[in-house]
Amino acid sequence: MLNKKWGFSAIALVLSLSTVLAGCGNDDKNNTITFWTPLTGDDGAYMDQLVKDYNATNPEIKVKHVITADMYTKVSTVLNSGKGVPDLAIIHADRVPGFVKQGQLEPMTAVTTAQPEIKEDNYLPQAWNTGNIDGTQYTVPLDIHSNVMYYNKDLLAKYGAESFLDDNVVTIDEMLSLQGKLDEGDYVVNDALLGWVILAQIQDLGGDIQEDGKPAVNTPVMKQAFENVKKINDAGLMTPFGEDGYLMFQSGNVLFSTDGTWSSTAHAGVEGLNFGVTNVYSPTPDKFTNRSSSHLFAMLKNKDRSEEKVAGIGSFLEFIRENSMEWAKAGQTVASKQVIENPEYQNYMQSFFTSNEKEIESLYIYTYEYYPYIAEAVDTYCGDIVRGNVDIDETLATMQKFVEDKIAEGTSAQ
Amino acid sequence: MKKKLNLAPVFFVGPHVILFIVFILLPTIYGIYASFTKWNLMNDPVWVGLDNYKTILFDNSSTFHTQFNNGLKNTLIFVLLSVPLLIVLPLLIAVALEHKKVKGKSLIQAILYVPGLISISAGALIWLLLFNKQLGMVGNVFGSEVSWPTHQPYAWILIIIITIWGGVGGNLIIYRASISGVAQDLYESAEMDGAGPIRRFASITLPSIRFPLVYTFVMTTAGAFNVFGQPLMMTDGGPRQSTHVLMMYIRQLAFGNGESIAGMASAMAVLLGLVILLISALQYYVMNRNAA
Repeated sequence: MLNKKWGFSAIALVLSLSTVLAGCGNDDKNNTITFWTPLTGDDGAYMDQLVKDYNATNPEIKVKHVITADMYTKVSTVLNSGKGVPDLAIIHADRVPGFVKQGQLEPMTAVTTAQPEIKEDNYLPQAWNTGNIDGTQYTVPLDIHSNVMYYNKDLLAKYGAESFLDDNVVTIDEMLSLQGKLDEGDYVVNDALLGWVILAQIQDLGGDIQEDGKPAVNTPVMKQAFENVKKINDAGLMTPFGEDGYLMFQSGNVLFSTDGTWSSTAHAGVEGLNFGVTNVYSPTPDKFTNRSSSHLFAMLKNKDRSEEKVAGIGSFLEFIRENSMEWAKAGQTVASKQVIENPEYQNYMQSFFTSNEKEIESLYIYTYEYYPYIAEAVDTYCGDIVRGNVDIDETLATMQKFVEDKIAEGTSAQ
Repeated sequence: MKKKLNLAPVFFVGPHVILFIVFILLPTIYGIYASFTKWNLMNDPVWVGLDNYKTILFDNSSTFHTQFNNGLKNTLIFVLLSVPLLIVLPLLIAVALEHKKVKGKSLIQAILYVPGLISISAGALIWLLLFNKQLGMVGNVFGSEVSWPTHQPYAWILIIIITIWGGVGGNLIIYRASISGVAQDLYESAEMDGAGPIRRFASITLPSIRFPLVYTFVMTTAGAFNVFGQPLMMTDGGPRQSTHVLMMYIRQLAFGNGESIAGMASAMAVLLGLVILLISALQYYVMNRNAA
């Protein structure tokens, strides 16, 4: 009887301990590069394929791709404890200044020294530069993913608006010229990624989101940007507030959709949707901006990362530089010049955005340290401002305070 | 006589105690400590005493004060709208299912319980499509011209509908189990004395299931204060942040964009915890006293 009791107890103990300790074991931690990415969508599968292709080359140290939902939360946890820090990670461009300031990124110097082709000349300049802080290179870029504007070719023809695309800049005035000319249920543009559209307008108007290192949200330029977009809404040309403008574009009721490059694959899957891609609309024909971000390879501070692993990371990044055509399938603008100069890349719609210098320049990445707070403020309030639900001056003041309060709270901890 | 040492209970309870300490007690203590600090989750916390609480509660000009007030107000609205429905509806259904003539009781119970097993994100996507003006049933069958998630009071109605849809089944099972435990002879003798169904419900059923009622009331209220998924998925806090609940602000501060503001988020979480504790204790005290 006693034995039976002890048997049950032992099983209970083993089960609970195995639950608690699961994951602690890591036999292959010295011969595998742990690679975390936040790529939880379809793009995760393309990255899986790239890693698989690399491992098939039989490198000395293989790469293990771990798709990590809520990656930044987990990153802060492992950095805080110093345990389980991945050898390599993909982070977004707007995270670089913050991570560097916190001293949490390892410079890429060892990688760039060992792999001479991993250098500025071989990548899209803004993707490379976003990882350069005070002359030190902290990241190697994978892509630029930008806000773009899809157009419905059939609707453009129906409403005689094909000429809008002649100079590759659709202006707000051109859009407004369609007022009163659309059938019921049709709209000129949707509000997909509206916050990114607003941030692009600021560049088009010659403004910025910071002045002397301080956040500049409540500014005449920001107000102008909102008012310009609001004009489209007030004219009844924007898809109604709360409607799924993305789906409305796919269902063929919207001329323009200000979405991301990555949506091209989803749009292509819609039967009968005859679409193309161009630049996000602008208030002026002289300038256009496609607000962008970038996926960047980075090494978070990790005292256990051996020199062999760093060398392995270098080999992997060089492989990606040469072989990331697969990444174009995910709809992203690949950062490696070798890939985008390959004729095969022309098969992908996003090649439009690297077709000439002006287009490359239009891919704008904000690198201001507090950009994430400003983007959050813009995203939180832009819908209500553009739809006229709130007073613009009052809301801009609230947004400015929102950003300043967060900055004060965040940095004073240092 | 030598006392026999029986370790078996320790082995059964031990893992639970360990898990409680590791995943509940220590994080709670550390969370309270963090609320007195400025902390970005990466570097060490810096002790600031009561500063976070002062800002949240008394600094009218601070964004965090505005967020806390707005978040708590919206959370209270959700609690007031959802809790009575989550108590009364399952109770009525449970009582109705006890009727002899109702067929397929288990099937009905299962149908009402299954939504609670579906993840909130999947459920929200289904309901958003149902209420989509262009594609959904509400627009096409009932001719609704409103975009529900972006207009009040429809945004709240939408959140409450999905909450009730997902939450009725849990309490229903508790009520059915407890009602089935009530002695049938009580009902029979009451019936012989001429008591009608309402009288039987008020004089026999309700007092007999007093403890399950107190339990569901307290737990449902505490759960409702922690509302997060429904407003996040259905309305994203809009329109004009009128459905932006406190948990959404807390999460955004701690794990949102840019550098984390975890100290302030912890202080908000502690204050929310105190509100829940206070209200739960009050509910328990009032209901138990009235029932005594």
